[in-house]
Formats: sequence, C-alpha cells, structure tokens
Amino acid sequence: MLKDKIEKHLLSVQKPSRYIGGECGSVIKDKSKIDVRFAFCFPDSYDIGMSHLGMKILYSLINERENYWCERVFAPWEDYENIMRENDIPLYALESLDPVNEFDFVGFTMQYELSYTNVLNMLDLAGIPVWAKDRGEDIAPLVVAGGPCVCNAEPLADFFDIIILGEGEEVNLEIMDLYLEYKKKGAKRSEFLKAVSQIEGAYVPSLYDVSYNQDGTINSVTSKHNAPAVVTKRYIKDMDSVYYPDNFVVPFTDIVHNRVSVEVLRGCIRGCRFCQAGFIYRPFREKSTDNICKQSTALCQNTGYDELSLCSLSTSDHSDINNMLSKLIDYTENEHVNLSLPSLRIDNFSEELLEKIKKVRKSGLTFAPEAGTQRLRDVINKNVTEEEIMNTCRIAFEGGYSTVKLYFMMGLPTETDEDIVGIAELAQKIVDMYYTIENRPKGRGVQVSISTATFVPKPFTPFQFEAQNTKAEIERKQKLLIDSIKTKKIKVSWHNSDVSLLEAVLAKGDRRLSDVIYTAWKKGCKFDSWSEYFKFDKWLEAFEECGISPSFYANRFREYDEVLPWDHINYFVSKDFLINEDKTARMAKTTPNCRQKCSACGVVKETGVRCFD
Amino acid sequence: MIKIRTVFRKKGRAKYISHLDLNRFMLRAFRRTGLPIWYTEGYNPHPYITFALALSLGYESDCEIMDFNLNSHVDFDEIVSKLNEVMPEGIEFISAYTPETKITEISHSEFEIKMFSENPKTLFDDFSAFIEQDSIIVQKKTKKGISEIDLKPSIQISDLICSENSVNFNIILPAGTQINYNPSLLIDSFKNMINYPVDLIKICRNSIICSDGEKFL
Repeated sequence: MLKDKIEKHLLSVQKPSRYIGGECGSVIKDKSKIDVRFAFCFPDSYDIGMSHLGMKILYSLINERENYWCERVFAPWEDYENIMRENDIPLYALESLDPVNEFDFVGFTMQYELSYTNVLNMLDLAGIPVWAKDRGEDIAPLVVAGGPCVCNAEPLADFFDIIILGEGEEVNLEIMDLYLEYKKKGAKRSEFLKAVSQIEGAYVPSLYDVSYNQDGTINSVTSKHNAPAVVTKRYIKDMDSVYYPDNFVVPFTDIVHNRVSVEVLRGCIRGCRFCQAGFIYRPFREKSTDNICKQSTALCQNTGYDELSLCSLSTSDHSDINNMLSKLIDYTENEHVNLSLPSLRIDNFSEELLEKIKKVRKSGLTFAPEAGTQRLRDVINKNVTEEEIMNTCRIAFEGGYSTVKLYFMMGLPTETDEDIVGIAELAQKIVDMYYTIENRPKGRGVQVSISTATFVPKPFTPFQFEAQNTKAEIERKQKLLIDSIKTKKIKVSWHNSDVSLLEAVLAKGDRRLSDVIYTAWKKGCKFDSWSEYFKFDKWLEAFEECGISPSFYANRFREYDEVLPWDHINYFVSKDFLINEDKTARMAKTTPNCRQKCSACGVVKETGVRCFD
Repeated sequence: MIKIRTVFRKKGRAKYISHLDLNRFMLRAFRRTGLPIWYTEGYNPHPYITFALALSLGYESDCEIMDFNLNSHVDFDEIVSKLNEVMPEGIEFISAYTPETKITEISHSEFEIKMFSENPKTLFDDFSAFIEQDSIIVQKKTKKGISEIDLKPSIQISDLICSENSVNFNIILPAGTQINYNPSLLIDSFKNMINYPVDLIKICRNSIICSDGEKFL
C-alpha cells in the first residue's frame, strides 16, 4: 500500500503533515461509489497552495456532487521529492493517498508564470507524460488547467489537454458531466476532446494550428474539427446565487494565509492600464452585504478560525462598504475574531473607514501609487492624485500610524528620469508632512518603505502591446532612485528584474515557448518563484538551445495590427478598446472608472449585461 | 470558572501534527465545539489550554492530557462528545474530569516501542546486548550544548520480545518539568551503534506516572 511506503519516510522530511492529509474539513469518500475523480493540483508547495481561495471554492463545489470526488495535490518540497523519486513513490492526492495517474482529471491552477516548470515536474512525478501528444488514446487521465495565466495559455498549450477559460463554478461540472457520458460509452481521448471543445470556455489547444511569418510573428491561428475559431471565457452572472463553500480544509501546519477568506466582489471598476486582473475578471459584480455576513459567520463557525479576511481586487469599491464593515465588526468583536482588509484604495480611504479598520488591525499601512509623478499616474490610469496620497497618509499618521509602505513600478510606458526622481520626491514629501502633524505618534520617527517592481506587460491589458525595459535600463533607473533619496527614513527595495523578464516572456509568449519551458525544467528549473531556486542562467541556456530570443517577446513593442498569440481567446475586453486605451495612455489622458461612465470595453457587448444601472 | 482535565488518543495520521500545531488546532477546535470555553482576560484574549506533556512529532499516544477552563457547567460526557465531533481522524477524547493531581507531580511516562526489521532476531540480540550494558551513555542536547548522560539508572525496560517482523518493548523514562528523557535518546544511540538500518520505528505513549508511582489523573 502506498500509505505504508509514505509513512516509512515521512519523519525524515520537514513539516510532514503537508504530505499525509487528514485535515479537518477534508473530504473523504467511498471510492467504489465515485464516477469521476478530479485531482486539483496547485503547482507550488502546500503552504502556498493551501492559501489559495479559488482551490477551496472549486474543491468544495465538485465534492457537493455525490458521485464526483475532488482531492488536493501540491508540489512536494525538494527534500520529499528526492525521497519520492528514490523510493518510487508517485505523486499522490492527499485525501485517498492514491496516485494521481489513476484520476480522471488532473487539473492545475495557473496563478503565476513562475509556476510553469512545477507543472512539468508534478506530471513527471505522477508518471504522466508531460507532452499532451504522448498521452495516447485512453480517455484518462486528462490534464487540464485554469486560472488567470491561461488567458494566454499558448506557452503551456502543448502540455494540457483542455484549458478552462474564466470562472470555473459552472463549466468545470459541465466538462465532468460530458466526460462521464463519454467514459461510459468507452470513447477515445480524441473523441472526447473534440466534443468538449463545443462547451463554451473549454479550449482544446490541440485543435488549433498556428502558422508564423518570416519575422517570427504569428501569421494565423486556425481551428479544426469544428472547434470554435474564437474561444470565450466563462463568467458567473450572479454572485449571490453562485456556490460558495461553508467550510474549508483547515491545515494543521501554519500556512501563508491561514484564515477565513470571503470574497466580496469580482472584477474591478478601475481600469489601471497595467493590471491584468482589472481586465480579465470583468464584469464587476458584487456580493450583497447579507450574503457576505452569512458566509463569514458560517465559515468562522465551521473552521474555528479566529481571523477573517475580505477578499477582492478592491474591497473599498463595494457600494455598501461602510454598512458591511459595521455589521462584520459587530460579529467579529463578539466572537474574538480578527478582521483583516487587504486591497483598500487610497482615494476612497475615508476617516470613517479608517476608524473602522483601526479597530481591526495594528500593522502598518500599504498603498500603491504605482508611479512617482501625476503625469505617469495618468498614463497608467491610476486615478489617484498626490493630494489624495498625502491626505491618506495624513489621516493614517493622525490615526497613530508611523510606517507607510508604498508600491511603485519601474519601466512603465513613457517613463522618464523625472518620473523615477518623482518617487523619491513623493516619499520625501510624506516624511516632511509627518513632522508638520501636531498630534503625530509621540516619540516615534516616520518610516516610508518604497518597494519597486519591474513593469511586466500582460495580455488583455492596454499595455499588452508595450515593451518591457531591458535589464540595463532598469538597473540604471534603480541607481537613479537610490541616488535621489536623501534620508534614512526612506527605505527602498526591489524585485529581481531577471524574474520580471521571464514573467514577461512567459506571459506574452506563444507555442514555441513550450520547448524552452521543457528544456529549462530538464535542466533542473523548478520552484522558480522561490529566489533560492530561481536559476536564471539555466533559463538563458534553455532559450539559447531552443533558438528563442527572450527579448523578441519581452522587449519589443507589438504593432496594433500584429496577430497576438492570444487573439483567438475572448475575455470580453475587445482589442479595439485596448488599442484605444494604449493610445490614450500615450497622451497621458485618463479614462473614468466604470461606475462614473461606461467606456465600452466590450463586456456589455459580449454579455448583454450592464455593470451599473 | 471550572477546571477540566481531558484525556485523548493521538494515533494514525494525527501523529504527524507537531506539538505547536496541535496547540493551534485545539484553539480552533474549541471555537467549533460551542463549549463555553474560558478566555484569558488580557490584551489579546484567547482560550487557556495546557498540555501536561509535549509529544514528539511522529509518536502516537493513548494518554495525552489537556487542561482548560469552562465558564459554566457542562456534563463530562457532553464535553467528550462535543470535542470528538470536531476532531480529525486519529484524535479521540476518552474522558473528561476534574483534575486531581498537579501537572508538576508528573515524574515518568511509559512508551510502547516497536522496531521493525527484516531480521528481527539479529535486531533482538543486538538490542538485548545494548541495554544489558552496565551503563548506556548517550548524548543529549541541552540549552548549554551537548552533554553526555548515562540513561541506564533512569530507565526501566520490560516486556522485551521478538515477533516475526519486529522487536517490541515497554520503557519507562523520566518526564515532567524537572528531567525529561525522550525515548529517541536510547533509540538513536542504538541505531548509531548497529551497522544496518531499522525499517520503521513505532512509538506510542501509554501512560503518565506521578512521583508516588500512581497514574497521573
């Protein structure tokens, strides 16, 4: 039995409770009564994957169906992977401890580009061929994927049988239902794949041929076997009637986000031009306050967590935020539950709101102005003014805070040295303002932390056409920023720009990238998002050996009429709209948020639903 | 405020829950039972729970002790059943009662140990010889560094047998706030001495004993 084999080695690895399951809230079913088994794989460690809300939702959703069983699978950490490989322990799921290759579906959630090599490593550990074409004609196991990264799944297209676009609550079950029908009649894999391509949101990459031009750009993408020419993402119309779990699997070991998460809204009204989430999750939909309170209470009671977090792209954009927080705080104070509120915006950070969040958190405040000057903030459509930033910091300081963390990006389109110096100047103004406040926190100095990331152009954003700065350019700008800072009260940190380059290549890549990913993995790349594992030299070797230039993908402006690798994928936001937004950006003009005025991004045209009355 | 002592088993998959994680788990479990658990009254109120002895990661137990306080009376049987409703596979509460002895009176605990091997006879002979030495010198890590101690006078081994695939025995070692010897001290030292691997070692605590020789209650 696999369990005995696992237990023989478990005490020689770090945090063994990650590899044996049995947590409260995990779902155990009688295998003999199950028709379809789904292995939900998160291509990173247990500690990261167990923090992910989407997995919790889809796990419980599938398990609501009596004859379907969804189990969890994570990437083993290196110490355990070595033991698994030495002792022929295949990748297994945590509920049944059965090998993943015995499942009907092996589904990966693709949350960030740097987890791609982990997918290959996990398939390999499971004994499943990494290339889709090598999986033969048996209908199972089907290797499927979803999540934000698959809005451009082309670099991964050759590894997956089916890619699920958009929100999974409905389409996942539709695909499983169709599968059961085909499995019962003994169908072949290729027959099922042709059939499933007719389900909206199910993209079967093997049914599309890509041809290229002399200059390396894409000539055309054509579908075959009746697969739709353009595949459209799925979305949930009504956030109040959609399924939401009333229990989570609660891990024994401490994980990154170890708390109840309740989703308050989907989509975002803001339209920041660099932000992929702001476009791919459209339309904007809210959950009602009553529903949020009901779900929060049920989850706190059923899991026993003493921390509740509200989850969304911009929680303070909920139309009933003040009332909602009052109601939640009444509950959490009574029940000794801590409430945390990530994702608040600078511009609607009112004193009333601050009073409420002061009750619930003691740590520092984090804001994301993203750019150092008003001109550049207008370019990226981050509709906050310097006055609003200063005002928010003032409110925070008067409320007893003395540390502020500010997020910025470097290498944004149209950026000049003035914009970089502007970051330092803005931080300096905040420091100076602190000392003008009469009732500032006594006996404490101010600390402004600046964290800069390298801008990564992403598909389905107005900046999808834009080029990323080269490493040399970013390093010059980093030095300029450091030189512009005159006080120790301002601290600067940044992300590794090699990582950002790889992110840009993988985000905007086409099918030719699959060879690079495969080669990099063969050279030992995995856990690329962990700095101790990131091997950029191996990636560069892989690019070289595959004859692929990373800068062709990352550092090149793409003409508006170029066929983009994801042009045959429809996320509702039209290419014409994105082109217009990019042109507007280059004129440093802003676009009003969706609540102020509809900008006809394409969502209304595609769905027939207006986001606001 | 009513003081309650509970006894629970920790077996199977639950043995991989570390002591720190178990503590956190129990705090969450109490919230789910709906029992009127007493919270501390400090700046950061939390349920007050105490474990008599920590159990090493990977060990099983039939006799773990957890103390806590309730705000109002609940029947002992109901406490046990409410806790068991929210326990994961492997943790089972056996009894709840009013504590009779102080945790500081604990002096020893007893473990049942099984060492599995393809060659149990050899293992049995080697282990018998190992424990029959006049002194069993082992290295123990302390806050001040590594010190050498002789386990022989402090331990009692009984029921040593050789089964068809394992060597089994019971061992009583000092436990509690003063001296605490983990059975791994003995086993690691033995494993270092022999030049072949032991397949699997199963360790289960089966009793906690007070300084007067009576069972801890």
